[in-house]
Amino acid sequence: MTITETPAGGTAPPAGRPRPNRAPNRRGPARATRRRTPWLLLAPALLWLFVFSIWPSLNTVRMAFTNAKPLGGTERFVGFDNFGYILEDDQVANALLNSVVFMLVCLPLLTILPLLIALLVEKKLPGITFFRTAFYTPVIASAVVVALIWTFMLDDRGLVNGLAQELSIIQGPLPFLTDRWLIVLSAVSLTVWKGLGYYMIIYLAALGNVSKDLHEAAAMDGAGAIRRFLSVTLPAVRGAMLLIAVLVCIAALRVFSEVFIMTGGTGGAGGEALTMVMLIQQYSRGFAGDLGYASALSILMFFVTLVPMLILARINSRSDR
Amino acid sequence: MRNKRTPLLTGFGIVAATALLAGCSAPAASGGSDPEGAVDGSIRFQTWSLTPTYQEYLDEAIAAFEDEYPDASVELVDQPGDGYSEKVLSQASTDTLPDVVNVPPDFALPLAQQGILYDVSQATDMESTYFEGSVDAYRFDGVEGVYGYPWYLGTDVNYWNATQLDDCGLDSANPPATTDELFEQAAIMADNCPENYLISRAPGLGDFTLEDIDILNEDGSEFVFNTPEAAAIIDRYAEAYANGEMPPTVLNADYLGNSQLFTEGKVAWSTGGATAIDSFEENNPSLKGNIVISPALNISPLYVQGLSVSAGSENLSTALAFAEFMTNADNQNDFAHIANVFPSTQGSDEDPYFSEEDGTPSSEARVTGFESLQTAEVLTPYSVNGAMNDYLGQQIALAIRGDISGQEALDTSVEKLNDLLARQ
Repeated sequence: MTITETPAGGTAPPAGRPRPNRAPNRRGPARATRRRTPWLLLAPALLWLFVFSIWPSLNTVRMAFTNAKPLGGTERFVGFDNFGYILEDDQVANALLNSVVFMLVCLPLLTILPLLIALLVEKKLPGITFFRTAFYTPVIASAVVVALIWTFMLDDRGLVNGLAQELSIIQGPLPFLTDRWLIVLSAVSLTVWKGLGYYMIIYLAALGNVSKDLHEAAAMDGAGAIRRFLSVTLPAVRGAMLLIAVLVCIAALRVFSEVFIMTGGTGGAGGEALTMVMLIQQYSRGFAGDLGYASALSILMFFVTLVPMLILARINSRSDR
Repeated sequence: MRNKRTPLLTGFGIVAATALLAGCSAPAASGGSDPEGAVDGSIRFQTWSLTPTYQEYLDEAIAAFEDEYPDASVELVDQPGDGYSEKVLSQASTDTLPDVVNVPPDFALPLAQQGILYDVSQATDMESTYFEGSVDAYRFDGVEGVYGYPWYLGTDVNYWNATQLDDCGLDSANPPATTDELFEQAAIMADNCPENYLISRAPGLGDFTLEDIDILNEDGSEFVFNTPEAAAIIDRYAEAYANGEMPPTVLNADYLGNSQLFTEGKVAWSTGGATAIDSFEENNPSLKGNIVISPALNISPLYVQGLSVSAGSENLSTALAFAEFMTNADNQNDFAHIANVFPSTQGSDEDPYFSEEDGTPSSEARVTGFESLQTAEVLTPYSVNGAMNDYLGQQIALAIRGDISGQEALDTSVEKLNDLLARQ
């Protein structure tokens, strides 16, 4: 039998043979402490996760199969009734379409524009910090305050309509706050304006990791700026781009405050600009809120949110291959 | 080999199942005590957005109660105006509703249905103390009893921007007194001043009640307001909108949209309580001395505020005594004098304060409101909830924009509202 010396001077078990179980010894309490320590450290986070995320999620699933009301009362199991009502409710299809359109328009804008801005402000020029700050400022503003300001600007007698009429671009005011698709478009503009800075920061971090040598090598090989952007920069920030795409999809499908404020909480005439989260809020609020149905809508929303994430994950795995 | 993770997962599963089952439990008024016991111990009294403006009055009233009942103490808790219904809802569902709580009848209805409020008619002879109409506001179909002491009453009066009326060919000394006159003058205003508007509100259930249209059937089980008369009201608004007599934002207007536009000087007419004039003048000083007040068009709406007692109060006798004390004639009159609201107690109407002006716009609003109160009615049934109001508002907005007819808007709304009612 070969005895293998270990760096610490002890003995190691022979290669290929299982390590023998150590008998309980005086080091037991130390091992037990070592085993418990990670759990103790994780406990606050796990408790938080359970109370504020896991339990509410499980409770939502439970409530979706009941006629739950905010004050309880005669709560009973109703099977798939709430999900059946989703199919009959014309507001759901409408809200779902608005949310998906909102996401589809936001996705390219918030994935590409911040990258272009990051490329501009990445350069070390005098005063560039001012522009970085300026682009980031909307991020720290309250969504409600920003939406109110935009509402004043887009009102039929607001700044935008007034200016456009003054310059004879339009004859009468455009119904930014009362026409379905103009409401969605206005909300997209606000979201993009407010979100640019946040995603720009993520791209700036990613761009900082792009090797300058690669750019120099590509330039020496005769690649122009566009070629270098497509062949060097883009592949290098692909991970950040996918992350941003996922974040944008989730945030866009959950859009609420922008459309809510711009339409005074009504979702526009006929509720035709309602989004899914507004619809969930509409059904769940107040003493007579229909929590069972609102929970069923939340579950539908969860699966809708999964779709773009799965598509992006698929794109990512294909690119990796 | 035994999986060491099993205990952890089992524990997690037990905790999750327990938590979920706990979520199934209905809030019920736990505890409760002898309603005829001694008036002692401490209670909590919750008001709705009354401090700091009326802090002094509330403190004095509480001190007077504590002087009368030395063994009792009252803790005042004032909640902000926004999100009050959510606050009361969360208190009720977690069994932490204060002993005495200020809730209007539409909040009290679901609480009474769940047995969370105490039937105060068991402790007090309501009819001999309060106006019948105000007591009726706290009686609900399907629940025996009265679930609140009426505290104070309110109604809406009309506020007109005198300068805008006079500048646009109208007479601020004779503002519209009926809906017909309102539409006639709105058309004149649109012709003379296309930049200004008279009407900036969409119709709702209250407008149908004003025209004697039933909102619900007799047993309250179905909505029945989709009548040709109701459709005609909506079509009239749609016509006014098409003629440029209303701003486009009327399609999105929420409850306060009308008064906000009036405050901003964008429209010449708003409705509001007797205290609204102070708010208009404070937020837009250019309106000072420029507002004409008149009674509400047709019938005035009646708003009731009351004090309800939690059935789960640990000092029920003290809570009942305090709620009755706060709503007695003397205290109601004192409060009405400082808050420009109206008392709900018998005999208070003989106080000249409510029937004689002192020359200030505020007193004019008070006297106008008090006179309107004699014929005021509750215009919207308390069983109409937020989702129902939202849906109806959305359909009416479609009709006003001209996408559908008034009758189509009403038929669609009635179908949906009946659906929502059945799901309650």
